[in-house]
Amino acid sequence: MPALEALQDRLRAAHTTACGISIDTTFSHAAWAEQLGGVSFPLVSDFHPKGELAEAFGVYLGDDGICDRATVIVDAAGTVHHCASVTPAGKRDAEALVKVCEDLDAGWSESLPDAVAPRGLPPGVRLYVKDRCMFSRWALYARTNLHLQDALPVVNVSRDPEALAELERLGGKGQAPALYIDDRIVYESAEIATLLAERASWS
Amino acid sequence: MIEPGTTAPTFTRTDHLGRPLDTAALGGKRHLLLLFYPLDFTPT
Repeated sequence: MPALEALQDRLRAAHTTACGISIDTTFSHAAWAEQLGGVSFPLVSDFHPKGELAEAFGVYLGDDGICDRATVIVDAAGTVHHCASVTPAGKRDAEALVKVCEDLDAGWSESLPDAVAPRGLPPGVRLYVKDRCMFSRWALYARTNLHLQDALPVVNVSRDPEALAELERLGGKGQAPALYIDDRIVYESAEIATLLAERASWS
Repeated sequence: MIEPGTTAPTFTRTDHLGRPLDTAALGGKRHLLLLFYPLDFTPT
């Protein structure tokens, strides 16, 4: 996944959306992706009904209960262009796969819309978090997965009394996580992640 | 395994950042690179 993340510019130029799929939950995906340094392209879950997606593409290993390490490239007309497995223990050649996508796109007769750059975050935005808080972790996962470390400063209200006082002043309570953006405060971690994704994702 | 030249199944899912992904809606706009893998927290 990090190899593919590093090649996102080339995939975007080739009008290609990458998508990772395993039987893990999206919560697991978010935590794992953060550990890898951030994965901004979609990771989706084949958790329930388990293996349904992989089964539809013929790449579910039912005896082991996992997806094969398989790659399927679908063209913009919805037709399977490429399909290959490197087996679960194998390693994908990210560079070669991106080349397949580039070649597919170069030979594509219709013009496809170019990717639109994200709007980005406004000045003054910041994320308040606290220690030992699952919801704060989730908000931080989104920050890393969207590569917003520079654009989105973090303040820890468990360790910084002044930050806590500031948060209470802004929103009337010390609840964290809290995203301060455009003169308003968002508290729900799922809403914070969605809002950050809207402002930081290519479309 | 699905064969090249056949029509790919479409799907809708919400991703790890809460974004909706509807592959049918990507028709005529994007090619798709689908990366199936066994498990999170294992070598990629």
